[in-house]
Amino acid sequence: MPSPLPETDSASHLDLIVEMTGDFAHSHDVEATLRLGLERIAQRVGAEAASLFLIDEDSGDLVCRANMGPVDVIGLRLAPGTGIVGRTIDLGVPQLVRDTRRDPDFAGAIDAATGFETLSILCAPMAVRGARLGAIELFNKKGGGAFSQTDSRLLQALAASSALALINTRLVADMAEQQGLKRELELASEIQRAMLPGPQPEDSPIHGINLPARGVSGDFFEIIPLPDGRLAFAVGDVSGKGMNASLLMTKTASLFRCLVKREAGPGAILAAINSELLETRMPGMFVTMAAGLFDPASGRAVLAIAGHEPPLLLKDGVFTPIEGEMPPLGIAVELFAGGCPESVVELDGGSLYLFTDGLTEARPRQDAMLESEGARALILNFAAMPAGKRLEAMVRSLDDSGGLLDDITLMVIEDRRDHPPSSEGRTLFERRYPARPEELAAIRAAVSGTARAMGCGESMAGDVVLAVDEACQNIIRHAYRGAEGDIVLRLDREDDRLVIRLMDFAPAVDVAKIQPRPLDEVRPGGLGTHLMRSIMDHVDFLPPPAGIGNLLQMVKRIDPT
Amino acid sequence: MKLETRVTETATVVILSGEVDLRHSPSLRKALMELMLEKRPVAVDLSKVEYIDSSGIAGLVEAYQMARKNGTRFALAAISDPVRRVLQLARLDRVFTIADTVEAALGG
Repeated sequence: MPSPLPETDSASHLDLIVEMTGDFAHSHDVEATLRLGLERIAQRVGAEAASLFLIDEDSGDLVCRANMGPVDVIGLRLAPGTGIVGRTIDLGVPQLVRDTRRDPDFAGAIDAATGFETLSILCAPMAVRGARLGAIELFNKKGGGAFSQTDSRLLQALAASSALALINTRLVADMAEQQGLKRELELASEIQRAMLPGPQPEDSPIHGINLPARGVSGDFFEIIPLPDGRLAFAVGDVSGKGMNASLLMTKTASLFRCLVKREAGPGAILAAINSELLETRMPGMFVTMAAGLFDPASGRAVLAIAGHEPPLLLKDGVFTPIEGEMPPLGIAVELFAGGCPESVVELDGGSLYLFTDGLTEARPRQDAMLESEGARALILNFAAMPAGKRLEAMVRSLDDSGGLLDDITLMVIEDRRDHPPSSEGRTLFERRYPARPEELAAIRAAVSGTARAMGCGESMAGDVVLAVDEACQNIIRHAYRGAEGDIVLRLDREDDRLVIRLMDFAPAVDVAKIQPRPLDEVRPGGLGTHLMRSIMDHVDFLPPPAGIGNLLQMVKRIDPT
Repeated sequence: MKLETRVTETATVVILSGEVDLRHSPSLRKALMELMLEKRPVAVDLSKVEYIDSSGIAGLVEAYQMARKNGTRFALAAISDPVRRVLQLARLDRVFTIADTVEAALGG
């Protein structure tokens, strides 16, 4: 029978280290590999019994994970610092106890419980780069006597290589787990995409698109044709990101699809979704949502909004946000106890845009545009394209710019009727002026007279005169920059609104550069744009009809007081 | 726009009238800047101003900033309704020292 190797030949122990490393590398069963390694070590050093303790990551307890010898102590749990094994781990160096009766740290209780008589102990720590994993403990040198310093050095080397092998195995396991998670996430993302409506036929009055920022999305949209010819639609955004958000999104979308057949209108649907979501609490998670019914025959949409970005109605180049006052869904049942109010929106030949905050948070290129301005500019940029392609182009422009921070969902509803009844509109004034400061007095007189004639009160007329004057100054100073040119001024009445359009033929103005200055900044200049925006309800640059120059549109509801 | 100055023993009073727009604001700015170089207290009487735009306001802001730098007094007096409205819209009504009369603008 082979006797222990000569003590001087430590190099020959390398074969054991190599074998054990190989075991770890090939095995997926850490427990079995630890057990096999421990047996090899005990055999090589010549011990009657051996135990391998690992530190439990949660409790810090020392747990016996492999065992060799007459009694089985696998699963034995020791408090941190207990016994010789605890001392070895704490000190980080091998402990050689030639006579257990003389070592006060020796835990005799285990012998008493198992019947094994421990005479001597050799214990070495398992650690990698300062990270403590556990220890290997050998009991009673075979053939009597105590363990030697050489045994101690051998065990130290074997324990260190076991520790390294264990760490590697854990890393491999973590990687495998991550791979598994990644596959699951991909699968979830696929399922989710399959749940969202696909591309609509180009002649559909409603189109939607969703672009997840990461694998799964917390956003959703729905387009559901109803038997009576109307279409139900919804756009929603679940708080948070990742798997939880996408599960809640799936639930909310399913609820919408189900409730749309049962409830009378979007307000009732949202109130019912709120109750259903709160049946099973998902603490701290909520859903913002805008839902509605669209009747293509009348061009009328009925909308209900719960904590969601106000949808934008774009009609004749003017944006009108549809504001809602209700909080998000899923916070408290009482909040929707009184139902959810609905808004009736007459599209009247226009388009209604619904979107999630991913759209307003994404920064199109480097423009330092205000959030809602950014969304409006984006919509106008692509307004000429057919709806399906338009949404795709809008979303792609944000993704390409690298500004995609959040999932983006975008929906457009269009009034496709051939001859929508035109709004009560008529041109009250139109004239071409040279873009020169000397003309401003005449322009002011014309605006003042027209505004009063159409029923604007004294104070509104004064304000509007100032807004037009400031807009003309911008054209003279920033668009033409002192060069010769013309300004076309046109005033229209559209329903109860005064619509002012100023057209010039100068090079296109960089809209971002004429943002109003911050109000806390006191300095000359930069005030004009601020005054225009303060006075008017809407100030927007529209695509110029001739394709050159700039078209500024300013709108204000007529105030006769 | 018409601009008159009245020099008293201790201060200079600027009396503006008419419409202060882009056509006239460069001359208002020039006049105020020259005046500020004298480092005397200045009151601007705006009671007869029928219209003022952002370029006119900008001239007043620049004069106000220069006066602050010099540590001299610069106040607006007897502002007309159109001026008050623009100052409000520009949120400058609390930046300027505004008095009901020229005497109060220089005395207070």
